[in-house]
Amino acid sequence: MLEIAHSPLFGIMLSIVSFRIGLWVNKKVGHPLANPLIIAMLIVVAVLSVFGIPLDAFEQGSSFIAMFLAPVTAVLALTIYRQRKILAGAFFPVLFGTLAGALAALSSIRFSATLFGLNEQMIASLLSKSVTTPIAIAITEQFGGIPALTIASTVITGLAGNLLAPVLGKVFRINDPVAHGVGIGSCSHALGTSKALELGEVQGAMSSISISLSAIWTVLLAPFFF
Amino acid sequence: MKYLTQLALIFGICLVGDLVSSLLPFSFPGSVISMIFVLILLSSRILKEEHLGESADFLLRNMTFFFIPPGVGILRYAALVQSIWWQLILVNLISLVACFAASSYTVLLVMRIQRLIARRHHA
Repeated sequence: MLEIAHSPLFGIMLSIVSFRIGLWVNKKVGHPLANPLIIAMLIVVAVLSVFGIPLDAFEQGSSFIAMFLAPVTAVLALTIYRQRKILAGAFFPVLFGTLAGALAALSSIRFSATLFGLNEQMIASLLSKSVTTPIAIAITEQFGGIPALTIASTVITGLAGNLLAPVLGKVFRINDPVAHGVGIGSCSHALGTSKALELGEVQGAMSSISISLSAIWTVLLAPFFF
Repeated sequence: MKYLTQLALIFGICLVGDLVSSLLPFSFPGSVISMIFVLILLSSRILKEEHLGESADFLLRNMTFFFIPPGVGILRYAALVQSIWWQLILVNLISLVACFAASSYTVLLVMRIQRLIARRHHA
């Protein structure tokens, strides 16, 4: 019976159905903690363990989905291109803000991970976790880290950024909407940006453009921290 | 056929990105090279948004979906994650705060410098 689980179609179908349910629950609950990716991953893991299906069987199909990560990254260019006017309006503040953010993220990850005794493979998996997931995975693979750990960390960071964005703004007394938006986008990618959009139009636009810029800075600077 | 052509174009650019990445003397992710290619092609108007069209928007809108397979791979590292979970969360939180503070304050600093330069030009 369970032979059908080895068909590539099984992994693809399970992923789509789980994601569908994740999106539905997220909409019903209406809170970022009900993250569709986490819910979908939990459903897949639950189905695999309940039916005793090996991960290899799931990956027969899911590897086709993972193959789309590079195309997803390539078309991210479209999001930068569509925001070129917004970027032009605050070019230098955003350019240097995202650069400083990337440097601070990389050095604080390197420092704290070493302090907590994490090994090189862990550090390779964590270094890129502040940036948008497809690029974070590419950086992790470049350094021989564990992509699954990177995804877990990008989701944790994104959710924390989403929940803490207003508090961080108050604690650091950031009253300027451009500065607040760049801060949110640099440290917590798309998940944080959804909160920035709630805070205001300028915060949302700045956060959104900072996602791709901080990712490019991180790709360029990460090798110096590994 | 339209969608297939758009996908073929996107895949083609990715293959070129991977090829360039393999030729570089240092390591740099091929997917990011493809992204820079697309940005250059769009900016120079060689490529129009319509050429990537619905297929690109389909990929962008459903981006999260494509993280499920590598994410589920965490099953292989369940024991590892159990042994270092608090370190992982702390590293994440520390770097989140550091990154936020550094980027926001730098934006404020650069804007202040720009205002100073503008004032000097007016004076």
